[in-house]
Amino acid sequence: MAAGVAAWLPFARAAAIGWMPVASTPMPIPPQDRRKPQDGLIILNVSGTRFQTWRNTLERYPDTLLGSTERDFFFHEETNEYFFDRDPDIFRHILNFYRTGKLHYPRQECISAYDEELAFFGIIPEIIGDCCYEEYKDRRRENAERLQDDEDMDMSNDVTPVNLTFREYLWRAFENPHSSTLALVFYYVTGFFIAISVMANVVETVPCGTLPNRSKEISCGERYALAFFCLDTACVMIFTVEYLLRLIAAPSRYKFMKSVMSVIDVVAIMPYYIGLVMTDNDQLSGAFVTLRVFRVFRIFKFSRHSAGLRILGYTLKSCASELGFLLFSLTMAIIIFATVMFYAEKGSPASKFTSIPAAFWYTIVTMTTLGYGDMVPKTIVGKVFGSICSLSGVLVIALPVPVIVSNFSRIYHQSQRAEKRRAQRKTRLARIRAAKIRGTNAYMRYKQNGLLIDTLKEASKEAGRALIGKAANPPFESQHHHLLHCLEKTTNHEFVDEQTFQANCMEISAVHKSGSRSSSLSSSPHGLSSCCSRRHRKKNSFSLPSTNNQELSTIQIRERPVVNSRSSLNAKLDETMPLKCEEAYITPSMVSLSAPVMISSDGDGSTTTTAYSQSIVRVSAL
Amino acid sequence: MMTAFWETEGLQTLGIVVLVFASIKLLHLMGLISFSEDSVEDELELSAVRHRPEGLEQLEAQTRFSRKELQILYRGFKNECPSGVVNEETFKEIYSQFFPQGDASTYAHFLFNAFDTDHNGSVSFEDFVMGLSILLRGTVQEKLNWAFNLYDINKDGYITKEEMLDIMKAIYDMMGKCTYPMLKEETPRQHVEVFFQKMDKNKDGVVTIDEFIDCCQNDENIMRSMHLFESVL
Repeated sequence: MAAGVAAWLPFARAAAIGWMPVASTPMPIPPQDRRKPQDGLIILNVSGTRFQTWRNTLERYPDTLLGSTERDFFFHEETNEYFFDRDPDIFRHILNFYRTGKLHYPRQECISAYDEELAFFGIIPEIIGDCCYEEYKDRRRENAERLQDDEDMDMSNDVTPVNLTFREYLWRAFENPHSSTLALVFYYVTGFFIAISVMANVVETVPCGTLPNRSKEISCGERYALAFFCLDTACVMIFTVEYLLRLIAAPSRYKFMKSVMSVIDVVAIMPYYIGLVMTDNDQLSGAFVTLRVFRVFRIFKFSRHSAGLRILGYTLKSCASELGFLLFSLTMAIIIFATVMFYAEKGSPASKFTSIPAAFWYTIVTMTTLGYGDMVPKTIVGKVFGSICSLSGVLVIALPVPVIVSNFSRIYHQSQRAEKRRAQRKTRLARIRAAKIRGTNAYMRYKQNGLLIDTLKEASKEAGRALIGKAANPPFESQHHHLLHCLEKTTNHEFVDEQTFQANCMEISAVHKSGSRSSSLSSSPHGLSSCCSRRHRKKNSFSLPSTNNQELSTIQIRERPVVNSRSSLNAKLDETMPLKCEEAYITPSMVSLSAPVMISSDGDGSTTTTAYSQSIVRVSAL
Repeated sequence: MMTAFWETEGLQTLGIVVLVFASIKLLHLMGLISFSEDSVEDELELSAVRHRPEGLEQLEAQTRFSRKELQILYRGFKNECPSGVVNEETFKEIYSQFFPQGDASTYAHFLFNAFDTDHNGSVSFEDFVMGLSILLRGTVQEKLNWAFNLYDINKDGYITKEEMLDIMKAIYDMMGKCTYPMLKEETPRQHVEVFFQKMDKNKDGVVTIDEFIDCCQNDENIMRSMHLFESVL
């Protein structure tokens, strides 16, 4: 029930007195108004813009933020108003919802911002009024598609080649020629051969001069039959191989065989094989000649190479109803005009309009404004109707064409946008990654800085830089870094930056290849892949991959002398062992250290918790 | 030979006639010529009637509402009807929103007539507030008077069985289809019979205002229910 009508409820209840004399049974007791709520003004301060409304207006919808006691959380005593730190422009619409009972969606707002505000104020979007609902749904769908696109892009590009089987690799190569150089080469070679094959088909029929003992011209195909046959064979072999490879690589063979492109492939190569089979049978050679027509379908194989062609095909498919309408209206008009022309020209002598179907040809030629002139009306009436026919033809054909054109344009622009997003995706990801790296670098500096601040000794130039930086650190940053530090302490692991980590991965693989150690190493192929690909995964687990802790730690220490110097200087962390850069020194200490740790981490591969009171194993996490 | 000639001639004439008609129709469609004299398109209706109510003091004097109550009432009224008057359509729409299950339009029609005391087709705020004043703050006599006025559709001072049947059907319509027990065709009629048995003292087939008021005052249920909605505002 619209909120505005709620104001009329007292009236409706009063009017119920009209039923009383008629009623035969006593009426129920009316509900008691527990308290008469004071109908006072409420001030809502949204980022400085003051909105005021009656308390009753807000309480019409008690299951939203403003209508329930939840708004008390935002009450600001000093100014005796409710303060919300949100967007005032969108809030306007939300408040209007309380007033009028209708929620509108402003077209110029971003859909995600609007959704967020609705969610914040506890309003479900489904109650958007009819006037704005379509627009809202459209925008929402577009947004979802965009997000879905991004996700798909992520998913498809994130699977590293290492994990793919040969079959999947092949399929990826076929579907996405830019994925590897081999795929690209294959792409261009097939394109080249398609072009060659089509041109051969065309040139085959060109007259090529006469044989010495014949007066008739023969086509090139007959003159150089062998050459053309060889060319054809080569092309067909390439196409067959390609088709078979695609068939093998396809994830779902049945679906692949049903797809349009595979049908085109088959139709393109079939005539050759059929021709091979039936060369000696004269009776069927007529049919065979007809089959050669299908060789022209090879030109459709280009649609794999051209996005525009695919878009055209898709457009025609999606405009099927408009095309159908065009065809239907044309047919109607053709029949009408053909009949009229036939009867109009019936009287004229030697007229070409011998029957209505014969008149069809005239009508089609006239309506499409071709005007061959092989059939013309001779009587006046015939000419009159002929002119009406050509005028209406122009109109009938011109009407559905813009619809098809606009459809094509829309689909084309959509694909352009998708391409652009794909291209921009790389830069976007780079931006995001750069921001993350800035964050981690800031944290690194903080760590060095925070632990050095006790001493005046400047052991490294980073410290100097960091000292200067510390003064400029806002409290938010320092609290964030403190938090990360606490996490490190909890897990006994440390954050490192990406280069170091990648170097570790390479080291791990090197160590694995050298093949020393124990059973724990044997699990490291998985560990290697999980270690290196972990940066692709989205989860932020800090558990170590199931590689050998010792190995990693030794390598780790070798790479980061800074850490050692810092840790040795830090008197607070008394649980650290003095670690130095030399490997020989480290290894035995690591061994002794890690022994207790290994016990605790046996089985789940994570090196957290119990041992940290005794020692810290500096292992790379992330 | 001659027939062939006449055939072509006839076809030619026909063709020319068709052409002429088609061109006239085309011109008519394009608006260059018009056939009928009164083919003027409908003039825009006069801008919506706007009505401003009398001042607050006057209404306060005329009704039994306090100033604050009048303010609240007017705000709700104006929210739903910005132009200041309610016409029957809007009235029916508003009233139907309270009874989504059934069809409240017939009863709303009767209600509208009851509120529209000056019978000018629209209910202004004064009419609205006067009616409400009687219903919510009036004496029992006044309320019963108002009810009688509601039932008496043609305002002739008598309630006939047909009028009562109309009212009863309107009330039952508001219930809608899904009721328990099932609504039957003759339920309103039966109810009217019961009503008339109670109200029509001299059995003359009509109920006058005195019979009505008398009978209601003697009925405890009705008396009690008259006071039900007093605390509505």
